[in-house]
Amino acid sequence: MNRRHFLRDVMAAGAAFALAPGLLRAEVAQATDSERFARALAKQPWLAGWKSVDRAAFGPMQATIEGRLPKGFAGTLYRNGPAWFERAGFRYRHWFDGDGMLHAWRFGERSVEHRARMVGTSKFSREQQAGRFLLPAAGTTIADAIPIRNNDDVNTANTAVIRVDGRLLALWEGGSAYELEPDTLSTLGPVSWRDDLVAAPFSAHPLVERDGSLWNFGSLDLLGGSGLLLWHIGADGKLIRSATLPTSSPGYLHSFAMTERHLVFLLMPYRLTQGQGAAFFERLHFESAQPCRIAVVPKDALDAPRWFEVEFGAVYHYADAYERNGEIVVGAARHGDLAEMRSPMAAAMRGERRSDVLETELVSLHLDLARGRARWQGSGVRGIEFPTFDRRHDIAAPARLFAPLRTEPASAPYFNAVAAIDLQRERRSVHRYGSDILVEEHVFVPNPAGGRVGEGWLVGTLLDTRRGRSGIAVLDAEHVGDGPLAQAWLPYAMPLGFHGTFAARA
Amino acid sequence: MKIAIAFALSIASLAGASARAADLDITVADVRVAKGTLMIALVDSAAGWDDQAKAVAASTRKAAGAQEVFHFPNLPPGTYAAKVMHDENDNGKLDVNVMGMPVEGYGFSNNPQVLRKPTFDEAKFDLGAAGGAITIHLR
Repeated sequence: MNRRHFLRDVMAAGAAFALAPGLLRAEVAQATDSERFARALAKQPWLAGWKSVDRAAFGPMQATIEGRLPKGFAGTLYRNGPAWFERAGFRYRHWFDGDGMLHAWRFGERSVEHRARMVGTSKFSREQQAGRFLLPAAGTTIADAIPIRNNDDVNTANTAVIRVDGRLLALWEGGSAYELEPDTLSTLGPVSWRDDLVAAPFSAHPLVERDGSLWNFGSLDLLGGSGLLLWHIGADGKLIRSATLPTSSPGYLHSFAMTERHLVFLLMPYRLTQGQGAAFFERLHFESAQPCRIAVVPKDALDAPRWFEVEFGAVYHYADAYERNGEIVVGAARHGDLAEMRSPMAAAMRGERRSDVLETELVSLHLDLARGRARWQGSGVRGIEFPTFDRRHDIAAPARLFAPLRTEPASAPYFNAVAAIDLQRERRSVHRYGSDILVEEHVFVPNPAGGRVGEGWLVGTLLDTRRGRSGIAVLDAEHVGDGPLAQAWLPYAMPLGFHGTFAARA
Repeated sequence: MKIAIAFALSIASLAGASARAADLDITVADVRVAKGTLMIALVDSAAGWDDQAKAVAASTRKAAGAQEVFHFPNLPPGTYAAKVMHDENDNGKLDVNVMGMPVEGYGFSNNPQVLRKPTFDEAKFDLGAAGGAITIHLR
């Protein structure tokens, strides 16, 4: 053992953190009130969407089916979302803080079975044992948080889920993907794509190439550095390439878009306020007077980005992107309320109701490659989020989009409908689930028997807040307005989640 | 790309003997895996902390359980600071990833709540003539 190395390396370890931690710091905190939330929930059942789970596993449970499942629709919808919000009377204030729970909705010919399990991150395991929150969170200050080794110590794996080469991965945005066993949902551990990339950030929104490979990024800004780490993972689950995209100033991004030839990253300028010990999202202030910077990165030249600027716009999720006539056009759900952007549904997390208006609009970001200019274009479609589309869409025309939508009447300040939106033909088809139903992301599932783009189903999850039950709906993607072909309901309610992926049964 | 900065440090030899009296026990707690080697170093000055002077003492031990106690006998009473690393894969260094983030365990006396290299002042503690005991929580 070389003592000289040991001492030098300990110092180097400390030095790494000299530049660290927005996301990772936390000291003094005030407890929020679990009891206050429980009292509010008793009066306002829609708050069930933000209620903490209190056990680590649910199911397997057969859901009660209404209607008839379509022939050929077979497989499993995996979903992820924050689910564990409270410990020892302390309640997180930020929706994104909750530890991730993985759901599997398994479709047989005449059956739907649900199972859910907390992702066994190191954070969750340590806090289960301690009976209290020990570790810093992304949006809530935690009193007496313990020092952390690196960003994976605070990884909640709570945002999305993908399948790569038959493996099931739960994703977060500031650390490793976590691998789970696809049938039992037991956690296998964090994924390392290469030895020197252990704990490197791998965002929750990888995009799938036509050859089955994945593109993704990880924000180094979140770790106190700067720039983006770019990832290209083969369909075999092996790292093809990683690269670093340097950036000139802090920029927040949650996801990205891609065309046939380019990756598109929009960076929202922000500053972090001082506030020793406060969590990342508490310190985050978007600099909305500054433009967003946009990197357009050729897939075959990751070190040759082209930079654009556009008027500030706040986006979590992008839809499709295509190139036509020297222009890249990217669909996006743009947020108009920056307080909501910083902490979505913050009032619901406190057990309160704020505005009923969901200030989002489906917009297009236009990048003129010849003139180097960028602009936003509105669509007038408001109150939507979590857009999805058929990945086989035309590479030179807008895709038909599917998104949860808020319509009146509604008992909750949340989505209660699903829309199919064709911006090109200015057509919209909407199914309203009902004023007491909270509606989550609807994933497009291609019909294996048909090769036509757009032919397939939507599968999306629901929370019936009047009857206290979670459910799932399957719709014909070409006849969304006709409503579900089938729905299936559980005898219990789960908190709302974020993103899912459908694994068709071979 | 690399966030980490290597600090040069040389220790030709450990400090020589002087009037010694106090014993120090350092408990290294929260060892996450029972493999590899725990390495601990004790310094008595900001210069030592910042690699400008020799360490007072250093010790290594195979990691076997959730915690280990290191005994340092016959130290002069005074001000000290300690740092510890857990070389889990026995490759002789604290592994860091491409961003410079440590991926093996480490810790400092006083367990300072900072996510950077603590200063000597943040990590220092006083050792009286009667000796003492401290706990370092590995992170």
